[in-house]
Amino acid sequence: MAFFTNLGTFFQTIGGMLTDPYTVLLLLGSSFLGIIFGALPGLTATLGVALLTTLTYSMDLQTALIALISMYVGAVYGGSYPSILINIPGTAAAAATALDGYPMAQRGDGGKALGLTTTASFIGTVIGMIALIAFAPLIADAALQFTSYEFFLLAFFGIIISGTLTSDDLVYKGWIAGLLGLALSTIGRDQLQSYPRFTFGIPELEGGIEVVPVLIGAFAIPQIIKSMRDRLVLGKAQPIKRILPEFMTIVKNFKHIVRSALIGVGIGAVPGVGEDIAGWVSYGTTKNSHPHPENFGKGEPAGIIASETANNACIGGALIPLVTLGIPGSPPAVMLLGALMLHGLNPGPLVVITQPNFLYQLCAIMALASLAMWINGMFLTKHVIKVLRVPATVFLPIVTVLSVVGSYALGLSIFNLFLMVPVGIIAYLLGEMDYPISPLVIGVILGPMADENLRRALMISEGSLMGFIERPVSILLLLAILLTVCSQIPAWKRMTNQIKAKVFKRKAS
Amino acid sequence: MKRIVSCAALALTTAITANSIAADYPSRNITAAVVWGAGGGTDTAVRVVANEMNKFLPTRINVVNKTGGVAGSAGMLYGHSKPADGYTIVGISESNVTAAVNGGWDKKFSVWYPFIIGGSPDLISVTANSPYKTLEDLMAAAKKAPKSIKAAASGAGSIHHLNLLALENGTGAKFSFIPYKGSAPGQNAAITGEVTVVVTSLAEQQQLLKAKKLRPLAMLVKEDTTVEGVGTIPSAFKSVAGLDKYLPIGQAIGMGIRADAPDAAKKVLTEAFKKALETDKVKQWAADNFFTISGQTGDEASATFAGLESLFSWTLHELGAAKVDPATLGIAKP
Repeated sequence: MAFFTNLGTFFQTIGGMLTDPYTVLLLLGSSFLGIIFGALPGLTATLGVALLTTLTYSMDLQTALIALISMYVGAVYGGSYPSILINIPGTAAAAATALDGYPMAQRGDGGKALGLTTTASFIGTVIGMIALIAFAPLIADAALQFTSYEFFLLAFFGIIISGTLTSDDLVYKGWIAGLLGLALSTIGRDQLQSYPRFTFGIPELEGGIEVVPVLIGAFAIPQIIKSMRDRLVLGKAQPIKRILPEFMTIVKNFKHIVRSALIGVGIGAVPGVGEDIAGWVSYGTTKNSHPHPENFGKGEPAGIIASETANNACIGGALIPLVTLGIPGSPPAVMLLGALMLHGLNPGPLVVITQPNFLYQLCAIMALASLAMWINGMFLTKHVIKVLRVPATVFLPIVTVLSVVGSYALGLSIFNLFLMVPVGIIAYLLGEMDYPISPLVIGVILGPMADENLRRALMISEGSLMGFIERPVSILLLLAILLTVCSQIPAWKRMTNQIKAKVFKRKAS
Repeated sequence: MKRIVSCAALALTTAITANSIAADYPSRNITAAVVWGAGGGTDTAVRVVANEMNKFLPTRINVVNKTGGVAGSAGMLYGHSKPADGYTIVGISESNVTAAVNGGWDKKFSVWYPFIIGGSPDLISVTANSPYKTLEDLMAAAKKAPKSIKAAASGAGSIHHLNLLALENGTGAKFSFIPYKGSAPGQNAAITGEVTVVVTSLAEQQQLLKAKKLRPLAMLVKEDTTVEGVGTIPSAFKSVAGLDKYLPIGQAIGMGIRADAPDAAKKVLTEAFKKALETDKVKQWAADNFFTISGQTGDEASATFAGLESLFSWTLHELGAAKVDPATLGIAKP
């Protein structure tokens, strides 16, 4: 009975919002703004939600939430545009999307890739929302079992898996790139004792390496240099024939969509871990369970679907501990918590009692936000694909300027440019030697988490490593890492192939 | 003679202009630059109070956020670079007193004329299924085996860490301090049992206390506090004699204008500030968020901040985490 009352609230909220033209405008507007934020390198979902929080102070809570959630959903989705079109991820969360999205765009399937991204993101957001409404307390309890050991292993897993995935035959180089990123992330005052490391007395390095200039430098600069050197045509722009995207592809990949969404929800629910890791882990899992893993990285639609479903499903996941315990699950959710408190709402266990409709309102807003994102996306993909028709000589300088502005805008610091340019040149040289770049960036992003949590875990255990094998989640992660590493060793590959062959033979005979 | 007259006239006009400026204050909108992010504790408090102050001022206070730098130095540098006319307010908290020793800027906190809204009191809690039911239990165990019980209290040199250190000094117990980047990760660690003890503010812990994920042991202020759904949390001052020598070390969230701003501006703002704190809206907000209103202004508030500045700066220095020696900044030892 209570369920139906709640369902009533859900649809009532949706109905109420859709009949108010101002709300509809706000919904579509914020979603559009979010997509732009996601698509521009250097502007992230976190920044977008933070900036919008200030503007929503005078609104009532529901209106503010409409703006903020639409922004969040839009920004996580928007990062995929430049990933697919020009191989420069708009946000770190969309880095895995570039692996298959860009090859697709190059062979003329850019429109298809964008269409798939849009629908995958939509489905991801909706599954995240359902998880939020149906399993919130259950998932929150599981996510809170993460201690320093698990946080370290999860971060390390993210780096290893991105190193493994970016190229099949160059796996050692992927790991080397990941370790380089890890090394870069140790620069600055350490998180536990504020001891300055590798700062060389440069005050700007005290706070550590900023992620955004590294992200932009590492992805944009090599791409710009390569395009200019090879007089590269950006991709083939083919008009999109159908507005409704590739339903067959979606149906065919339904298994991957559900798995990716669940991975996204799970990772989103772990406090402090967000969309960045979700995309990679889901991409890796999908690749390993796909009948044709060799197609990944060459424009396999399932690859895009995996990362984009997961990073949007992360949103619902991140809201789970936020709503049940007041603990935000991802960096943008931290901003969202701030906005809620600004409006006098303290999310937590009592919210169900003091504001019984809040959860359903929130879910209704998420449903509408994902719908707005989908509508905007379907409208935009038809037009952004035309970007590829712009001659590279005109387009690349614009990308360059946007990259520089994106780096500088973060804290209005000229030092970010001094960081971006060398990182970009090093990334270009590494790329020339066939080192993948994504693991380096993921290393910089996850490095502080790995470093801080490993050292804290050892501090707590007083130097003993037993903690890693005494905890269930920790053992699982450890096994996942070992398997990932072993699966790349030739001897191991031969062995598993032999076993597989033997089993197969026996079955056949 | 002529000269004297003109001098007198000049002096008179100056006086009149100065007076009229003062009498006119505020003749245009005031900007309040919060040095911490939108939606954070400082931002929320300043926005709520500024909104009420607007009702007692002829013009508006517009709140913006100027974040970045070291310990909020970017926003403070911005606020200090504006003319000392009272039209620029900075929204600050006790953590900003470390900007100087951390190398964010080279000024003492006395450059501000502060208004303290207040803060949420700290308390000590333990993992919900831990054997410690009272503060005495915990202290007895900690004294029996020093450094065997792990405690989280945000980062090294944070206000919560200072509270934990003060509690250790006051009781003679010793914990193994595990640093976390912020209150929330430390509280999570206490929920999972990674650490047993956590010291953060009541505002930060309230939802976890209500969800029975943490067990509160004692408030680190003089008064007992009742939280709906949790019960009364006793004050540590009752069970530990002589604790008042070390505690309380309270949060001080508030605002400041340049100390060299005209007296008239200080007077107008102080009046509006005091009236705003008396409004039902602010009182209700404070009660909802377990925020203790201070209401200190002027010399009283300056003294509070000077004390915090000295305590924070020298603690960081002793922990080896300060970049600049507080002595070179002229900050006295606590």
